[in-house]
Amino acid sequence: MSKKYEEYTITKDGQLMLAKAEKEQIETAWDRLQAQLPQCGYCELGLSCRNCSMGPCRVDPFGEGPQKGVCGADADIIVARNFGRMIAAGAAAHSDHGRDLVEVLANVAEGKAPGYEIKDPEKMKRVAAEFGVDTKGKDTLQIAQELADAMQEEYGTRKKRLQFVSRVPQKRLDTWEKLGIVPRGIDRETSEMMHRTHMGVDNDWQSLLLHGLRNALSDGWGGSMIATEVSDILFGTPSPVTSTINMGVLKEDHVNIIVHGHNPVVSEMICQATEDEDLVQLAKDKGAKGINLAGLCCTGNELLMRRGIPMAGNHLMTELVIVTGAVEMILVDYQCIMPALGHVAKCFHTKMISTSDKAKFPEMEHREFHPENARELARELVREAVENFERRIPERVYIPVEPIKTMSGFSVEAILHALGGTPDPLIEAIKTGKIRGAVGVVGCNNPKIKHDYGHVTLTRRLIENDILVVDTGCAAIANAKAGFKVPEAVELAGPGLREVCGALGIPPVLHVGSCVDNVRILVLAAALANALGVDISDLPLAGAAPEWYSEKAVSIAVYVVGSGIFTVLGTTPPILGSMNVVKMATEGLNDVIGATLAVEPDPEKAAILIRRHIEKKRAGLGLPSIEV
Amino acid sequence: MRQVIIHPERCVGCMQCMVACAVAHSKSKTLFGALQEKPLPRPRIHVGVGLYREGFPNRCRHCDPAPCIMACLPGAIYRNEEMDTVLINPDRCINCASCAMACPFGVIRYHEDSLGPEGKVVAVKCDNCVDRQAKGLVPACVEVCMTNALTFEEPDTSLKRKTDEIARRISVGAEERKAETAPGFSLLNTLKKAQTEMADYMV
Repeated sequence: MSKKYEEYTITKDGQLMLAKAEKEQIETAWDRLQAQLPQCGYCELGLSCRNCSMGPCRVDPFGEGPQKGVCGADADIIVARNFGRMIAAGAAAHSDHGRDLVEVLANVAEGKAPGYEIKDPEKMKRVAAEFGVDTKGKDTLQIAQELADAMQEEYGTRKKRLQFVSRVPQKRLDTWEKLGIVPRGIDRETSEMMHRTHMGVDNDWQSLLLHGLRNALSDGWGGSMIATEVSDILFGTPSPVTSTINMGVLKEDHVNIIVHGHNPVVSEMICQATEDEDLVQLAKDKGAKGINLAGLCCTGNELLMRRGIPMAGNHLMTELVIVTGAVEMILVDYQCIMPALGHVAKCFHTKMISTSDKAKFPEMEHREFHPENARELARELVREAVENFERRIPERVYIPVEPIKTMSGFSVEAILHALGGTPDPLIEAIKTGKIRGAVGVVGCNNPKIKHDYGHVTLTRRLIENDILVVDTGCAAIANAKAGFKVPEAVELAGPGLREVCGALGIPPVLHVGSCVDNVRILVLAAALANALGVDISDLPLAGAAPEWYSEKAVSIAVYVVGSGIFTVLGTTPPILGSMNVVKMATEGLNDVIGATLAVEPDPEKAAILIRRHIEKKRAGLGLPSIEV
Repeated sequence: MRQVIIHPERCVGCMQCMVACAVAHSKSKTLFGALQEKPLPRPRIHVGVGLYREGFPNRCRHCDPAPCIMACLPGAIYRNEEMDTVLINPDRCINCASCAMACPFGVIRYHEDSLGPEGKVVAVKCDNCVDRQAKGLVPACVEVCMTNALTFEEPDTSLKRKTDEIARRISVGAEERKAETAPGFSLLNTLKKAQTEMADYMV
């Protein structure tokens, strides 16, 4: 094993596949990062501005060159504007994902979405009641229609504040009101951010950052929350389920189909189609033992949470999965899909299918999914995948490892159910100190950080110290691959956490879903705060995104902080060009919103930061605390 | 001996060489660390603006004979023969600016240097990254130049390449083939030139 691969990733499957990729001269994200080095320091610092055509401008961080853009914007303004636009892009991505689900809900109500149904009518009634929809005497589809209409209103400008803001603890809401950052409309806040950052609008870096909070909150308590709740309504609220994970979930003697992206709208239909008896028979006729569906990234998380569909890997594994030579078809929807994938697939028999009207990729076949045609198109594509099995070259197939077990499906409802219906046992465990606190370990992969090392190291240190971890997204996949998500993993936890999780038969690390499902953590945090009659920022909680890369992750980090939860990032957002913005994000925000961001690339040190924070919050609540 | 060679037609004006130069001559040698230092390290390469607003990385040519050496009254400027580099001893420098007056290229600056004596303004210029070269590294400006506007090579190699480029350009039928290496950048430069001429920029 070349030392280089061990520097790239801690995963065995990743290392072995990188070796195969190099041997077959297939380029990966790590190669492209090397080719990009050194990356532009102005951009890394957030000091370049491309917002208008008097520019592009940059501010010389050493003070010799220009200190203002052509318009006169200084480093503070340029950094704040750029950061604001990152938040806007992330919030837009999550919220548009949510909108697509609301459209499916509306289509189901109108009978125009064959194959889709209301899987959890009880949850729909609960959510509909929140939106003021009178459910008495109405049938399921009528409620669906009225809820879809009400949710579509959330995207516009007719509301004073978003509906899900009513889930926010009163103290938190008071803070938001005082600051004027209660989110009003989902699209409105993003649109306003684009307006404010246009040349000649908001040129006060502090008020830009405040709107950044509001914009992110419109994602966390708006677009993302709608995405999660409607996904549960349409596809079922997750409950604990066991499955397998890593590249070993691919099967040499099966037709392997992979779904990649974020939105369950397409992957759920593909999942149904792979269970079709005719198609399974066709696979057998072609010499395979059956059809094997696996996920990648967050659409994989959606299927894993609800159906226990195996998971092949996270963001940085997406190219390497193709290199196994064992994949007949990959269907992608949107977000985090590297445009490189189609080029890798050209070296194999793997068919690449893009499915969303808003996401096309080079070297992929575009087959657009809409609610009306989804069921039929899914069957058609699975048939094509099965037919492609014959084109597989057995000599090139290499499935590097055996899969390992993982447990998933911990929605808030499932966690409360595991606790016996109320959060009281969890609160009691926190009060006594058996559980010191809880941390959301979330976010992406980034080739600048050794793959999975940030997630796994941080999570290990946290559970060792009796801190419950809830995880989502690519972080959740990393932790599952590391073996943290089986009930036996309580052996890795500290004595208190081991006792509590052991008694409940749950792992010390709970998978709460995809990246839009970070809102499940918000809902849980709000429930804990309400139960104790305190603000979320008083609770012994923290967030961490050890390997983040995307604008969506920026939006998440900001809405988590805005909701009152201290958050540690593993890579630096491009704000270092303005020490004013840095000080505000890492110190000043505490006085404003009761939580801050921190940047710590070393997960060992991040764990200490988080433990100190948790003990400080425990002391603040009058709970027993220890010196870290 | 390898030297830093400038290919102005390839400079995109990102000024990365300036940032990297300042970092290479800082105490911490890292971008984020350097920004916390006092005095702030400053670049010894300077990107100037050409007729058509294109960038030009201007740095010490390490002339031989060097006018700055001849102009330096206290004998602070000397030639390191082994590295073929003109260096300044900041302890001897009296900040008289004679060297700058003698320099045909305007590459000498006067300021407190983060690696020089504390609190003393001295003449500062490119040192060919002799410390980096001793460690087997290429000069910092060359390392970061993404477009190869700065290269570190034998002058003969560079000149041979240039000769071949010229030869290919005058080949019979070269007009039809027109191998364009960076069409976007060429287009940008064409537009910049047109804009400048329209605005009669340099009147």
